[in-house]
Amino acid sequence: MAEERYDRLKAGITEALAEKPKRDALYTAMKRGRDSRRAAVAARPDGDAFRKDVRATKLQCIEKLPELVERFAGKVRERGGTVYMAKDGAAAIEYILDVCRRKNAKSVAKSKSLTSEEIQVNEPLEHNGINVIETDLGELIIQKVHEKPYHLVFPAVHKTAVQVAEIFKKETGQEIPPDAGEIMKVVRKYLRPIFLNADIGMTGANVGIAETGAIVIETNEGNARLVSSIPDVHICIMGMEKVVDTVEDALKMVMAHPVSAVGQMLTTYVTFMAGRSQLGDGEGRGPRETHIIILDNGRSEMRDDPVFADALNCIRCGACMNMCPTYGVVGGHTFGYIYPGPIGIPWTAAVHGLEKAGDFAPLCISCGLCKEICPAEIDIPMMIAEVKDRDSQKHPAPIVNKTLMMAENFAGLGSATAPLSNWMLNNSLFRILLEKTSGIDRRRKLPPFARRTFTKRFRELPPDTSSKGRKVAYFVDIYANYNAPELGIAAVQRLREKGCEVVVPPNQKSSGYPFIGYGDLKRARETAEHNVKALIDFARRGYDIVATEPTAAYCLKLAYHKLLHSDDSRIISERTHEIFEYLQLLETESPSPAPLKGKRFGFHVSCHQRPMSSGLAAMEWLRARGAEVELVETGTCCGMGGTFGLKAGALGYDLSQAVGDPLFRKFAEANVDAIVTESSVCTIHLKGGTGMKVYHPLELLFQ
Amino acid sequence: MNDDLVERFHKKYEVLSGKVKIASVVDDAVAHVVGILNSGNVTCIAVSALPEFLQRPIEEHCSSAGIEVLKPPFRASQLPGAMDRAQVGITVPDFVIAETGTLVEFATDDAARLVSTLPRLHIGIVWAEQLVAQLTDAAPRLRAVFSENTGNCVATFISGPSRTADIEMKLTLGVHGPEEAHAIVIMDRRPADG
Ligand code: SF4
Ligand code: SF4
Repeated sequence: MAEERYDRLKAGITEALAEKPKRDALYTAMKRGRDSRRAAVAARPDGDAFRKDVRATKLQCIEKLPELVERFAGKVRERGGTVYMAKDGAAAIEYILDVCRRKNAKSVAKSKSLTSEEIQVNEPLEHNGINVIETDLGELIIQKVHEKPYHLVFPAVHKTAVQVAEIFKKETGQEIPPDAGEIMKVVRKYLRPIFLNADIGMTGANVGIAETGAIVIETNEGNARLVSSIPDVHICIMGMEKVVDTVEDALKMVMAHPVSAVGQMLTTYVTFMAGRSQLGDGEGRGPRETHIIILDNGRSEMRDDPVFADALNCIRCGACMNMCPTYGVVGGHTFGYIYPGPIGIPWTAAVHGLEKAGDFAPLCISCGLCKEICPAEIDIPMMIAEVKDRDSQKHPAPIVNKTLMMAENFAGLGSATAPLSNWMLNNSLFRILLEKTSGIDRRRKLPPFARRTFTKRFRELPPDTSSKGRKVAYFVDIYANYNAPELGIAAVQRLREKGCEVVVPPNQKSSGYPFIGYGDLKRARETAEHNVKALIDFARRGYDIVATEPTAAYCLKLAYHKLLHSDDSRIISERTHEIFEYLQLLETESPSPAPLKGKRFGFHVSCHQRPMSSGLAAMEWLRARGAEVELVETGTCCGMGGTFGLKAGALGYDLSQAVGDPLFRKFAEANVDAIVTESSVCTIHLKGGTGMKVYHPLELLFQ
Repeated sequence: MNDDLVERFHKKYEVLSGKVKIASVVDDAVAHVVGILNSGNVTCIAVSALPEFLQRPIEEHCSSAGIEVLKPPFRASQLPGAMDRAQVGITVPDFVIAETGTLVEFATDDAARLVSTLPRLHIGIVWAEQLVAQLTDAAPRLRAVFSENTGNCVATFISGPSRTADIEMKLTLGVHGPEEAHAIVIMDRRPADG
């Protein structure tokens, strides 16, 4: 059962992998989104500091949401608008149908609204004989071919101009050259009478302002201006979480939204609409109405949920989608139900049910990058882990996830039985067997195990008697312990050279990040507690904690505290450093001679370093030793996703290779001697994908 | 006055594919309007509530050039059809945000909104003294207009022409709203209306 559950998902991935042009179009859209956002953020005098501000504002508003919604509704009514509080989608649809009947409406012109898609309003309207027309160009295109959006900001990005020209040729009977500008002219003509004659105009709202009772609607095309001004009846459907307190709050959202979505400073048209205005003077038109539907549909429950409440901070900018490595390959049809992408997982769970969210949640490979780009600093990965966790209580997790969560036992066994285990890892028959029993892809070349672990070798090191300054507790993790003990030893030596007393706290386990990644939060918490306990005495005695594995540092610094919220986990977080960031603190002068002079490296930043050093410290360290170092990146994850890329088939190796492809190409073109990265799992992936040599920076000094 | 803000607005508005004309005095602004009207095949324009000193010379030009002028009060019974005939819409925005290249318009009649939405070409005439530096400066003005108007009221930020990139990510202008957006900035102080 557990294995079949994802057959549809796997089929979706396989299909996406086969459609290269579609994938390329999506990749280009997302890359452009990321790049423009980055440039726009860099051009801001305060950089990305606005994110803190947006988060604080949203948290405040969600905290007092019931009061704000009341105040907002009161203001709307004072201004002559009608407010309807819809408890769910069915209630909202019933209300809309009622308005339509009362007005004897035959047509509804819509501007883009995700909330209206959430409740799937188009079908029941059409069922009642009402013609519904999407007026956003991208939405219109996919409406014509009865598809769902492929991308949040560019819903029809997977359609070529040739296909779009064909769609409108069918609609208008006109020959249209396959050129965006030419098609646009036809669309303008086609939609004009619809704007002029629609009985009802329907919009969403990006924000509702309690202070003024105004809704805020943003569009680049200007269609929302037309549908909110011409028809006599205006209906706005908005999620209740959109209400903010003041005009200032609203402007923060209005600014953060387009910057994060496409790197624009402001959306071309931002309409602040309060009450309903006349259209011209004198007789001749019906009464002018505006109906503001404030939708709950599970939001109140989300607000009470300790984990999912964070999702209410979402301003629907789509940046997390642009960042997500696997979404970038498979697109919104596979990576989503109605709400797509990273934030789509918790939102789907909350409004469309856990089951639907669980169906595509395994596409998240836990790189953590969506959190780093989100303007509201939403901890999306943690919510996804929660979705996976709750889902796994109903459906047992696939075997391979279990294997990977138990990686430490596996590595211990491998090391204890080396070199036999290494011979087996290279034996194709054994790998087929391993794939069958454990789900680890046979094509994946795995690093050999060392017979003597780091822990053993550390014990055999001659005692260090030099004078002591700082005290360091080294957190080893699996790879340095079982596969690359020489790396751990090198770390110890570098630290000792800088006058550190180094201890390796006994009882430490591996970081346990796969428990978070695959959604076993109980065991994730147990591991976090275990490691915090193993380290806390040292930390309290003034030891700094240093890790060589980025994911381990990420756990100690960020994830454990998020899981435990204890004083101890906070202390561990404050004391933890990545190795190079720490070495850089201690480095007072450049080393001479420069041992790496003449070498050129391409550097790969592991995702989990992004909220920490971003690899800058390691790059500086290499440069100080004479190397030329170039950062090579696509702006997202390499695709390994920790251990995700070890898994067999579509929902593993294949997808991870597809994500990695553009990065592999960049490295191949970078004209460098080798790749350098600090992450052990990225190393496996980059070696396999590029065929180039891949080093940990510490390795470069002892090879 | 406000030279630096005008410069910033100018640059940003052009980045947004808008066109900027700097006018020293009102007469220059009118000349720019005439220039724009003469450059196309214009037979009908719509204007929002313009001050008399702008309205009169523009109307004079139009009547001699045979251009129909739609102006307030707009007759409800003829809307929106009449406005759809206009190829050019002329408005006087209420203020301008320099950093974002944004014209801000207040309206209590939706017909006024259509002047800057339906025609293929929009001209906004503003005074340098109306420029504010950044987005956050808009807050007190929005607050003021929404508290003055206790009933219906709409404020619109307009930053350049109507745009989309929905087909193959190619930027195309004018999909629903204006394809051309002109801002004429008058450096002189704004005369008293009338
Ligand atoms: S953590 Fe990474 S893989 Fe998961 S949803 Fe976020 S960006 Fe996508
Ligand atoms: S979760 Fe954050 S990044 Fe994603 S759409 Fe919402 S606000 Fe944007």
